[in-house]
Amino acid sequence: MNPQLIRESLDELREAGIALRRRPAGEVLEILAGVLDDWNDPASEWRLELERRLPGATGFSPENVAAGLAHGLSDWTGAALCELVQRELGDFRLDEVLCGPVATGFPVTSVLLAGSIPMPTLLSLLTPLLLRSPVLAKSASRDPISADIVARSVAARDPELGRCIRIVAFAGDDEAAIDAFLEADCIVASGSDETLAAVRARIRSPRRLVASGHRVSVAVLGPEACDGHALGGVAERLALDIALWDQLGCLSPIGVYLNDASAAGRVAAALAEALASLEKTLPRGEIDTSAAARIVHERAEAELRAASDKQVALHASEGTAWTVVCESGAELRPTPLHRFIRILPLKTTDTTELCAALGPLEPHLAAVALEGFGSRTATLSRELAAAGASRICRPGSLQAPPLGWHHEGRQLLTPLARFTDHEARG
Amino acid sequence: MSRAALDSAVLEWMREPLWGHDDERFEELALALFAHQFANCAPYERFCRGRGHTPETVTSWRQVPAVPTGAFKELALRSFPAEDEIRVFRTSGSSGEKRGELHLDTLDLYETSLLPPLCRFLLPDLPEDDPEATLLVLAPSPGEARDSSLSHMFGVAIRELGASDSRFFVDAGELRVEALQAALEAANPRRPLLLCGTAFAFVHWLDALESAGRKLSLGENVRIMETGGFKGRSRSLPRTELYLALEEHLDVPVERIVNQYGMTELGSQFYDSILLEPDTERRKIAPPWVRVRIVDPESGEETAGDESGILLITDLANTGSLIAIQTADLGRRIADGFEVLGRSPGFEERGCSIAVDELLARTRT
Repeated sequence: MNPQLIRESLDELREAGIALRRRPAGEVLEILAGVLDDWNDPASEWRLELERRLPGATGFSPENVAAGLAHGLSDWTGAALCELVQRELGDFRLDEVLCGPVATGFPVTSVLLAGSIPMPTLLSLLTPLLLRSPVLAKSASRDPISADIVARSVAARDPELGRCIRIVAFAGDDEAAIDAFLEADCIVASGSDETLAAVRARIRSPRRLVASGHRVSVAVLGPEACDGHALGGVAERLALDIALWDQLGCLSPIGVYLNDASAAGRVAAALAEALASLEKTLPRGEIDTSAAARIVHERAEAELRAASDKQVALHASEGTAWTVVCESGAELRPTPLHRFIRILPLKTTDTTELCAALGPLEPHLAAVALEGFGSRTATLSRELAAAGASRICRPGSLQAPPLGWHHEGRQLLTPLARFTDHEARG
Repeated sequence: MSRAALDSAVLEWMREPLWGHDDERFEELALALFAHQFANCAPYERFCRGRGHTPETVTSWRQVPAVPTGAFKELALRSFPAEDEIRVFRTSGSSGEKRGELHLDTLDLYETSLLPPLCRFLLPDLPEDDPEATLLVLAPSPGEARDSSLSHMFGVAIRELGASDSRFFVDAGELRVEALQAALEAANPRRPLLLCGTAFAFVHWLDALESAGRKLSLGENVRIMETGGFKGRSRSLPRTELYLALEEHLDVPVERIVNQYGMTELGSQFYDSILLEPDTERRKIAPPWVRVRIVDPESGEETAGDESGILLITDLANTGSLIAIQTADLGRRIADGFEVLGRSPGFEERGCSIAVDELLARTRT
């Protein structure tokens, strides 16, 4: 799409926004809650269309897409959306008032989508609309499908609201198009640090930028999670966290920290068994030669270290479908993703060592799956929060975040709003 | 066969004037070296046993287990007693990053192996009666970068082939642009002149020329060899753009610009064929004592046709370390050579996670 057409789209959306803001905020919320309920329904036409088309566009297996959507959308309901609005904006009025604090959406919001996991796309498109800000979105190059289906799902509920979403496509290196796209009043951008830095550099102030960078998650298991019957269940749930979206999401764990080093071998073996089992029901998707080569390289390196260190062990599938490396320490090592996980035993049970090990991850840490610490859980959770975690949950829940998860450690709606305090008039 | 006998046999091959491939000779030496390295490098022996490979079961050089280059960061992979070590070459890397190490008990093989391919692919016009060339090196000298195999290679090249005006132009981390300019102007136009160095140094030079608004017109005797990537550098340039910029600013045609593919973990290097065979497709050619396999990462089998795969290199020059190396690069076969496709991390485009190696690299910089 050429820059002129993008600018025309922005103008049209601004125009549509004037009409949108005349509608009561509660009415818009009700429509969007209905849209989310549609997406929550496994039999909805939108879910079924996405399940049918996303595998071909992204390489994820059909089973993975279906399971990923089922987990990811399990708690995303219209009621949850209403609760989110109440929680984040409860103290503010969304409709124009003569006094009191008011939250207003921007005249138009541009959304730069990234990746190929559809849940962030759904949320990124609906949240500005909640604030009655029309949305101009650029699809991610690896997922040209989801945004369009979401837009149609909104239009099906309310054609006028549907006209407040416009999906555009242009090459990522088309600077003129990007500049036009960034002329929106608020810009929501997802991507790598490099992408976000480039966006930041191109935005002409004053513009609101709401950026979401790439993130990683980890699991931390205590002694009560590593023994006997408990371990089998924990391993199965962790394997699911790893397998969903082939470990490519920011909520996918890249390492499993253990504060009981003697359990490392057991945990690695149990996780390997669970991943092997999942491969039958939830097969990993296609990967390119480069990604496969990285896995092969890291496996061979682990093999060589295993030859010199009895604590190191490699568990791996035929081909590159899944890999578990049991390490002898908690040092971070390259993790090529695509269901490649390292077991990282800590030397002591002291949480200081855990937090130090997580130190390099801190700027990029998203969620921590935590289990097996009994009465120490609350203390450890506080320390993990201080180490940068924006979400702490149980293994098996990583890929099913609540709708209002404080991704990036911030609220979901308030960054997209402008706040006005109308003081009482005399 | 003893290590001394193995070294001697490989050196003899390297010194032969004919650039001839000899499969039988390669097989015999590769298997003998594998047996020697299996017996003398304990981590490698255990690695091979873990894969079910021993000198008794390995019957072809293709079966010799290859170690990944990353392992050279973790372990001292030497096939000789530690007390015999005379030199360690290290991979480049930012501070705090683990660096790969090649441990050496002799420099003979490294130094002998580098000359034939360098002469063949960069200086095919070197006169027999006066086998000297002007080598202007855009890289630090061996004295400044003692653990750099690349600097050592350039040092040996100057020692063995360089005319008296040959020298290094990176000093204390700075490219000496004016001195390089003066050397170019003073060089004998009838003698082959090789401008060689890191790709980043060439970019730096081009930036300097650009900011000064200068364009040079180097003579027909000039050829360029660039090597290395842009890891840890603030500025990078795709290779095709670099070559076009070199052509534009130096008036050296792209057909006279040669890439060298080498790595610290290997005793031998590979050069583009373009200068020697300008009418055929640009490709890397291995010296006779080196074999390259391109392997599908999923199946472990060699790829068919020109399909891409992992580059596995068996280099008989690595007598003191390990001959079979699994690189981190992808490549594809072209006729009697290959093309290096590099490492393209395509995973980021699919998700919002981040590979830890990238994350760690960012933490360090």
